[in-house]
Amino acid sequence: MPQFDFAHVFWPQVAWLAVFFAVLYFGVVRLTLPKLGKVMGEREDKISGDLSAAKAAKDAADEVDARYHADMNASREDARKAIADAKAKAAKASEKSLAKATASAEAELAEAEARIAAAVDAAQGALRDAAAESAQAIVTKLTGGEPKLDAAKASVAAHF
Amino acid sequence: MANPMEQFAVETIKPLEVAGYDVSFTNSSLWMLIALATVSAFLFVGTWRPQLVPGRWQAATEYLYDFVRKMLDENVGPEGRRFAPLIFSIFIFVLACNLLGLIPWIHAFTPTSHISVTLGLALIVFVTVCVVGFARHGLHFFALFWPHGSGIVLGAFVFVIEFLSFLSRPFTLAIRLFANMTAGHVLLKVFGTFVVALGSFGALPYVFGILPLGVNIALTALEVLIAVVQAYVFALLASLYLNDAINLH
Repeated sequence: MPQFDFAHVFWPQVAWLAVFFAVLYFGVVRLTLPKLGKVMGEREDKISGDLSAAKAAKDAADEVDARYHADMNASREDARKAIADAKAKAAKASEKSLAKATASAEAELAEAEARIAAAVDAAQGALRDAAAESAQAIVTKLTGGEPKLDAAKASVAAHF
Repeated sequence: MANPMEQFAVETIKPLEVAGYDVSFTNSSLWMLIALATVSAFLFVGTWRPQLVPGRWQAATEYLYDFVRKMLDENVGPEGRRFAPLIFSIFIFVLACNLLGLIPWIHAFTPTSHISVTLGLALIVFVTVCVVGFARHGLHFFALFWPHGSGIVLGAFVFVIEFLSFLSRPFTLAIRLFANMTAGHVLLKVFGTFVVALGSFGALPYVFGILPLGVNIALTALEVLIAVVQAYVFALLASLYLNDAINLH
């Protein structure tokens, strides 16, 4: 095997390997790889920066959404309260006007009753006067004596 | 018929000598240079103007870089990233040598099928591991070989075994890659020889060559897989050894 003919193949190959590998390492790889590493690092930073910015934007949107929902709930509650208030107010107002109407109707009723009672009294007074006068006239005719009108009136009142 | 070992012959293109050592430019050097040029083109094009949204070439280079970084993150931890350029260089150089050597017809040579080259690469890893280990932990680095909570006799025994296994690491690392590449290329060459031998059967030409040809197609796919997997295994073991040096388990 030519590989084991070290006297002829060792130094020529090792010497040139040393030269070429030194050129490769110092002249090629050390010049090019750092550029790649730099751009790869920049890319990683950019991606993680973009991701965190997206996350921040999402958090902000979530917060706005939560605030919107809270506002919605609060205003719905307000509206419900306003409706209940209006209902209560309306009920109170109608109750009041009903009470007022009831009171005026009762007052009219009482007045009418009083008028009726007055009319009845007046009618009864006239009847009594007429009865007393009749009684006076009857007594006069029967006895010839004329009784006093007042006595006749008292007598009529006693008989009612 | 060509000898299946002929493909591993190192042929001198331009003889050179430095300080008494033969450092001739050979076909092996040429294919290492081609690998270096391919990798350089790939990396320079891919990182020409890095964009936040990568193009195709940049995405390809980033994929490989990310692969190596993840491997180091998993096996070494956060401190492993400092060694990403080294592990990346080893991985991509081995990968390029393995894959380029598989190209047919153009007399491709696979430098990683030579133990001299794989041992050189393994020694880069080994020396790095030793330097990092002693720089971080000083002599305490030897605690790596001492088993936790054992008696002095058993501890010393395990220490010797662990130390020898540590010293053998560059060799196992080198031999694994060299043996895989060599075996694969020998197999391809052997079945290629069968195609010619059976295909030139006089009474029925070509017919019997089809079977080994089919085997060779399947083997080529397998060798591409092995080329990638062995580059990965080399880099993975390098990062595991680095983990020992950095974290001392």
